[in-house]
Order: sequence, then structure tokens, then C-alpha cells
Amino acid sequence: MIAALRSELVKLRRRRVLLVTAVTTLVFSIGSAWIVLATAQERGNPRGRGLTYAGLADPGGGTDVFTTAVSFAGTFLFVVFVGAVAIEFSRGTFRTMLLHQPRRLRLLAGKMAGLLGFAAVVLAGAEAVTWATARVIAPTMDIATDDWFSAAALRDAVADYGSVLFWVSGYALLGMTVAVLVRSVPLALGIGIAWAGPVEHIVQDAWSTANSIFPGLLLEAFVAGGTTDVSASRALLTVAAYVTVAVAIAATTFARRDVTA
Amino acid sequence: MRSERRPAVATEGLSKRYGRRLAVDGVSLEVPAGVVAGFIGPNGAGKTTTMAMLLGLVRPTAGSATVLGADIRDPASYLGRVGALIEAPAFWPGLTGVQNLRALAVLGGHDESRIPKALALAGLEARGSDRFGEYSFGMKQRLGIAAALLGDPALLVLDEPTNGLDPAGINEMRDFIRSVGDGERTVLVSSHILSELEQVCDWLIVIDRGSLVYQGPTQGFLGRAGTVIALAPEHLADLERVATLARAEGYEPRAEGDELIVQVGDEEPRSVALALNKAAIAEDIVLAELNVRRPSLESNYLAVVEERGR
Repeated sequence: MIAALRSELVKLRRRRVLLVTAVTTLVFSIGSAWIVLATAQERGNPRGRGLTYAGLADPGGGTDVFTTAVSFAGTFLFVVFVGAVAIEFSRGTFRTMLLHQPRRLRLLAGKMAGLLGFAAVVLAGAEAVTWATARVIAPTMDIATDDWFSAAALRDAVADYGSVLFWVSGYALLGMTVAVLVRSVPLALGIGIAWAGPVEHIVQDAWSTANSIFPGLLLEAFVAGGTTDVSASRALLTVAAYVTVAVAIAATTFARRDVTA
Repeated sequence: MRSERRPAVATEGLSKRYGRRLAVDGVSLEVPAGVVAGFIGPNGAGKTTTMAMLLGLVRPTAGSATVLGADIRDPASYLGRVGALIEAPAFWPGLTGVQNLRALAVLGGHDESRIPKALALAGLEARGSDRFGEYSFGMKQRLGIAAALLGDPALLVLDEPTNGLDPAGINEMRDFIRSVGDGERTVLVSSHILSELEQVCDWLIVIDRGSLVYQGPTQGFLGRAGTVIALAPEHLADLERVATLARAEGYEPRAEGDELIVQVGDEEPRSVALALNKAAIAEDIVLAELNVRRPSLESNYLAVVEERGR
């Protein structure tokens, strides 16, 4: 698995990939921090996943901006992971890799570990940039940021980072399962975008129970720290169950299926 | 001596069924260690599927096989000693040739210091730093060869390695196969260009519609159809007279266009040609063409396929 992980990193640690990722992360982090702060409410209850000035002045206020900003990118992340795995089937590169690493589960696990490791580094960078941007903007909105430098703020930052990493891992593993099952980039992306985008949210509007059933909505609920329909811990457990089943299906399918393309 | 060595590849009743289609039908074959074995058959005969089973990519429906003495149900136990290029070469287009090979070397636990040598052997050393997406198909094929050589394999499995290569590339590929099939390494190669295989293979496996037709030394297959002599008189009107002369010499010629074809059998072809020429001269017939046509792999192969198609 370590060899597969290292091999994945050879592909990811290229100047072009690093540059595009850095620029995207920078633009997203700065832009989303600005939007989240601009839409924060001075008082009262926040709408949806929005924040209040009072909440932002808390020790975890700076990294709340990060989790709130990232939570809107769920569909995008899901699609990225679906595409990253499905394209290995479409291009035939899984066949090439299996000739050098025939232990299929190790190959798949190493690939996912590589992608998630890369995502973890990107998320850490995004959290830092989002926090720094928020730190610059917040005082201009009369939001106190003194507590953002406390030990409690550091604990919140670590906890928020862990939550986002779990959230990303959930999307990544569910995306991998879709990719392994359909093996086609257009089909996998179509399913991924349709499900994580319109399908879940349309059903959610008509049927509130969907909030505590659908994996994408549960992931959103978890990273938001829970909603009125489902608590964060309940969302965590349900998503963990979904991911376990999904990974088992993907692993069994990948290990047994003929590689003909 | 060769027969005392463990075969590089051995299959027993190997079959693969896709739904109602039987792609490989109970093939039992053996590739002795150290040979360059040509694997031939028409499109859809089951060559690639058989190779894919040997490489652990496809599960057999029935039968068994060993590669380098290891059971194909455990490809991890032998693939480290096998280099393979199967179907179209597939790599990451954004990576250079060297980066692609590095990713595979790391994945397979191969020594990365072999990358320059593998590129050189595949004739790609000058383009190793170019992106794979910019390669021509022939260069992609060469990178596939380089990837197959990363682990310094004991067995090289090449599926249509001349696909996409220009005539010079095909010639280089032939020399390459000759050089890597050095007696220690076994090469199993499929190709549609039978004249190329004929020049490099000392062992042949012929399959048709999923079944084994022939396996054994190349010469054994070539000997299945005899040598013929083609004669053409200067004047087409003399064709029947030449046929009569050939019959008088004890042969049964057949007309093919403006020439006669005489099957030689076990006799020395030059002696037969000499006798026929003398007979023609004696009758004042000038032969515009008189040549010995030895059986080629292609002619034998086509004869076999035609025979099975009847």
C-alpha cells in the first residue's frame, strides 16, 4: 500500500499540479472567506449555514469561516474524487498499474491514501489562508478577533480541521465507490453531479427526513456541526456506516472484476 | 536441455467465457523457458484474453495455468519477474516518459536507476523528458516496452508490440525482441505481422476461435506446407505444354494465373527446378520465371485458418 501511495504522490507532486492546486486553494480560500464574512448576520439566528458576528468573535470564529466556506464545496470535491478514480479506468492506467502491483486492494487503498494525503495538505493550507483572510477582514466589520489567538482557538482549529478531513474523506470514499462501479468518467461524473447536487437537495426540499438519510446531506450536516434535523454525532455515525458499506462494495468489486480495458 | 527446464508458461484447459461468448476454449499450451514464442491467431481468436489471464487481469472461467512456475491465481507471486505490454499502452498524459516510468517503478518496487536503461532499450532516451500526451502512437508503444523492462523480467509478454510503428520502428522492434530473447529470458509475443514473427520466433503457438491449433518449434509449423516451384513460360500459350512436361517428370502442377505451381514434396527444390528447366529447354520453351517458394509463416498460417474455416 505504501508503494501505491508513493506512486500516487509521484503523479501529484508535479509543478503544474502543485501550481494549479495552490492558485485554486488561494483564490477559493480568500474569496470564500470574504463571502462568508460578508453574508454573516450582525445579530439573531444565522440563515442556513451562515454565521453571526457573535459566533465569529468566539475563539473558533476564524476557523468557523473555513468550515462554512468549505461546506459549500461538497459537490465539487465529490466530483473531483469520482473523476480522479474513474479516469484511471477510462485511460486504462489501472491495467498498467496492475501489471506492476497486482495486489488490487493495496493498489486502491494506496491510491486513495495518496489522494487523501494530498487533500489533507491542501485543506491545512486552505484553513490557514481562510483564517488569515478572515483575520484581515473581520476587524473592518467590527468583529473582535482577540480570542482567535487563544489556546481554545487552536483546539477549535484542530477540531474543525479534523471535521473537514472526515467530511472530505467521506466524499472521497463514496466517490471512489461510484467510480469503481461505473468505470467511466462521463457516467461517474454524471451520477456524482446529479446525486450530490440536484437529487439530494430537491428531495430534501420536499422531504425533510432526507436530511438524516442521504449521505451528501449528512456530510453537510456533520461539517456544519449538526442541524435541526440531525446532530453532528448522528450524522458522523450514519456517514461512517455508509462509507463502510461503500468501501466494502468497491473493494470486493475491484478485487474480483476482470480488467479488460 | 531446454526440455529439462521448467516451462515459462503452462496452461491446462484454460477457458474464458464472457456471457454466451467463449473467448478462450480449453487451451493447453506450454512455452519453454528461454524461447521467443510467437502467439498468432486471427482477430478475436483469444490471444489477448489468454495473455490477460496469464497476467492476472482476467480470471479464467475454467482451467489452470502457471507462469514461471507460479499459479496464475496468485499473480503477485510472479508478476515482479514479468514485464508486459498488453492492449494499447496506457499512461498518464500529463507526466513525462520518465515520470510515468518512475510512478510505475515506485509502484512495482523496481530499481529506479533502471529507468534510463529501459528508455534506451526501447529507443526513447531522447524523448524521456517529453510529456506522454505529446507522444506519437509509436512512441507510446515504446514507452510501454520500456515500462515492461523496468523490472529486468525473466518473462516478457508483448501483445501486438509493432502496432503503430513505422517500418523502421518495426525493424527495430524485431531487433529488440531478438536482443531481449537471449536464451535466458523468455518472450511471448503476439503480432499480426507474421513475417516479423517468423524472423524472431523459435517457438509458435497458433490459436483460432479460442482453440489451440499448433504449438511447437517454428520450423515444425513451417514444414506443414511444402515448398513449391513457380514456373511461367515466356508465352502464355505454352502453359499447358509446360504442365505436360511437369506431369511427365512425375508432378501434378496447378495453374495460378499465368504461372504453374509445382508442389515439391520431400525432394530437394533446386534439383526439381533444374529438371523442369532442362525439360522446357529441350522442348524450346523459354521460362520467364522459375523460382523456389519456400513456405512462409503467413502462407502456413493462412492455409491452417482456411482449412479450419471449411
